[in-house]
Amino acid sequence: MNHNNEYTAVEMMIIATAREIQDGDIVFVGTYWPILAGLLAKRTHAPTSLIVLEGGVIRDSNPERIPLVVSDPCMISGSLLCGDCFDTLGMILHAGQADAALLSATTVDKYGNINTTCVGDYSKPKTRLSGSGGACDFGCLANKVLIMLEHHKRRFPERVDYVTTPGYLEGFDSREKAGLKPNTGPSAVITTLGLFRFESDSKEMYLDAHYPGIDVQKVKESMGWELKVSPEVKIITPPTEKELRTLREDVDPDGMFLRDARTVS
Amino acid sequence: MSELAFKDKVVGMKQAVEEYVHDGDTVYLAGFIQGEPFAAVHEIIRQGKKDLTISTAAGTILVDQLIGSGCTKRVISSYVWNPVPTSAHAFRRAIEQDIPHHIELEEYSLFALSLAYFAGALDLPYVATKTLMGSDLAKRSGFLGDKKISIQQSPFTGETVCLIPPLKHDVGIIQVQRSDAQGNAQLWGVEGPTKYGIQSCSRIIVCTEEIVEQEIVRRDPARTIVPGFKVSAVVEEPWGSHPSYVQGIYDRDWKYFPFYDESTKTIEGFNNFVKDWIMDIRDRKEYLAKVGDERLNKLRGSSLTSNPVDYGHYDVF
Repeated sequence: MNHNNEYTAVEMMIIATAREIQDGDIVFVGTYWPILAGLLAKRTHAPTSLIVLEGGVIRDSNPERIPLVVSDPCMISGSLLCGDCFDTLGMILHAGQADAALLSATTVDKYGNINTTCVGDYSKPKTRLSGSGGACDFGCLANKVLIMLEHHKRRFPERVDYVTTPGYLEGFDSREKAGLKPNTGPSAVITTLGLFRFESDSKEMYLDAHYPGIDVQKVKESMGWELKVSPEVKIITPPTEKELRTLREDVDPDGMFLRDARTVS
Repeated sequence: MSELAFKDKVVGMKQAVEEYVHDGDTVYLAGFIQGEPFAAVHEIIRQGKKDLTISTAAGTILVDQLIGSGCTKRVISSYVWNPVPTSAHAFRRAIEQDIPHHIELEEYSLFALSLAYFAGALDLPYVATKTLMGSDLAKRSGFLGDKKISIQQSPFTGETVCLIPPLKHDVGIIQVQRSDAQGNAQLWGVEGPTKYGIQSCSRIIVCTEEIVEQEIVRRDPARTIVPGFKVSAVVEEPWGSHPSYVQGIYDRDWKYFPFYDESTKTIEGFNNFVKDWIMDIRDRKEYLAKVGDERLNKLRGSSLTSNPVDYGHYDVF
């Protein structure tokens, strides 16, 4: 494969997310883009991270192929533990031991609340989406929630139609008031434009860093509310050659996600 | 009562569904991406069961087929999708347009649902948890109304907790790697909340890739997920989970899911699909012939066995 400095916005999103994972982290991985980010981190700077699946799997090694869904049989063979939801969602996540959880999202609002349930009113939706799976549990209980989505303005409403996965709810201390544990919740939202974090007091989302060649004004125009921008807004380091090569040749060599080969029947 | 422990319960799929799945039942479907009981569900659709409440941890196209075929009145799940990943079209049509008819929905997060099954299996009045709170899953309920969850203060610490009541089912269906004729069913691979879901059922149908001599169960009793005394029927149904997978026996048929997506985008497409792949097919044998040996052989994959474990003999002092 030809390696030059060119990369796609999706590849940048996956690489920027992987960099948020620290070596040694216990990482819950949701389906779709999180699979690539979790596996990339493991193959680059976080080799001793553990990948944990909601259905009951803990693994410390790379699977023999890329899983198309997280509970793919390739994730079970060679794992350290294979059991049930109580082994992972229970005795790791609920017990407060999940350092990070990676989630994809359909829409995300100003306080990091995620909707993967419906467009429009819940009782009579315009579009019905899949629902939660383990996502709500990840959002309620993980110490550091990392949210991934391709950036479109309609995917960033000021307020989501339905809170499938709680972020900081209405901001400030509303998350803890609702009964959720302190020091849990969204850490970053990573899109195809940049990386967003949350103010420590108000819990409102702001632009922390953007990708090379992306204009801050363009990011502001791509949000459903008046976006705050960090006074020290950073430019994210473009993918290194190693990151790109690992992603393309080791994580997804068949292009099942990156070239969408999995949808070809 | 242990009377069911010593009984041979082997029947065919048609008979198992006729005898143990009734119109109006609450039906638990075991499996978690792995081990979804497709063969049993296709027989339920062929027999035209009505007004079922379908309860499952991870609703995939199995649930979509039950909804689009008009068998389903209610669904309890953590999600319903087609794991391409994309939408489950019949589910969408039912929710958005009441096609083929209105269905009622009750949604929990995966762990909250696992806890409801756990409470059901143990006959607990409720369990308390720190998940779900703040979400609209906690605020909005469907047909369970105020019996869905309750937010309370812990009598011990005063902190806010979410109480989840038990879910129980009339009948449960599980697909496993192996079982003896009495229904001591053995499963390995990812389980999701299957152990608790299946044991919250009054009647249990075990569908198994293979019926084995009881000695094989006795040699590795740690793999038994349901004890035979709770089981009503045992059906030998190889490939009973296709296009889902069974660990170590066959792979997930990933090409089937985009095929299903394309085929079922319209009502007409869905109806043709159900006719071709369910209604016009007599049983699993005919289904497998339609899938074809070429594809099935590809899904068999290669073997990776474990070392035998030693339980020991304990016959002297």
